Amino acid sequence: MILLSAFLTGWLTGLAYARWQKRSYQIPKINCLWLAFVAFIPQLLAFYLPVTRAWIPDTPAAASLITSQALLLVFAWTNRRLAGMWLLIAGLALNLAVIIANGGWMPISPETAGHLVPAAVVQAMNIGSRFGYGKDVLLLPEGTHLGWLSDRFLLPEWFRYKVAFSFGDILVAIGIFWLLLRQGVPLRAILFR
Amino acid sequence: MKNKLTHLSFLVQKINRQHIQLVFALLALAMLVLGAGAPETGGGIIGR
Repeated sequence: MILLSAFLTGWLTGLAYARWQKRSYQIPKINCLWLAFVAFIPQLLAFYLPVTRAWIPDTPAAASLITSQALLLVFAWTNRRLAGMWLLIAGLALNLAVIIANGGWMPISPETAGHLVPAAVVQAMNIGSRFGYGKDVLLLPEGTHLGWLSDRFLLPEWFRYKVAFSFGDILVAIGIFWLLLRQGVPLRAILFR
Repeated sequence: MKNKLTHLSFLVQKINRQHIQLVFALLALAMLVLGAGAPETGGGIIGR
């Protein structure tokens, strides 16, 4: 939801900016468009569709996450000329690195998880077990590789919506906001023309 | 009825190739963002 909010905010701001400039909103040609759809399918099945995610075991789900993110990295790399794409690539690469380092899952500490669900639920879970149907795994900080890249950030307490996110997620959010605001046109293309 | 058909035909003509390309581009970028990020929500634990 937090990433989709960045997506929608960037898009709406870009629309308003284009309208202010009295031109239509458009995004430059995206290379290998099909690759984004193909790359997302494994995650769609393993994490998003309630019908399929319930019967896919954890090991294939973890493998599908790594495969999907690696393919998305290729897609992002082929479109690196777009504004904001370098931030997206950096965020994706950091998330992929911490996921690979922790057995195919994004680590989350019991303390952080305790802010998302009732503490009793977290206490009932075993360390190393998957956190719900999401991409996270419950790990103690001392047992986490690249802990600084894990889902360790929380929204302020006064937000009703509870979510934990990583440093990579922040880069992805800024990257997509900038891409949709700038409509893919890098600032240097304007400054040096 | 004829008026409705004319109106529909006008709407279809307005949806040109550029609009379709924009929709596909936005969809692809939405998938990139959803797939790239891994934020964990409080709702994820329910049902498991």
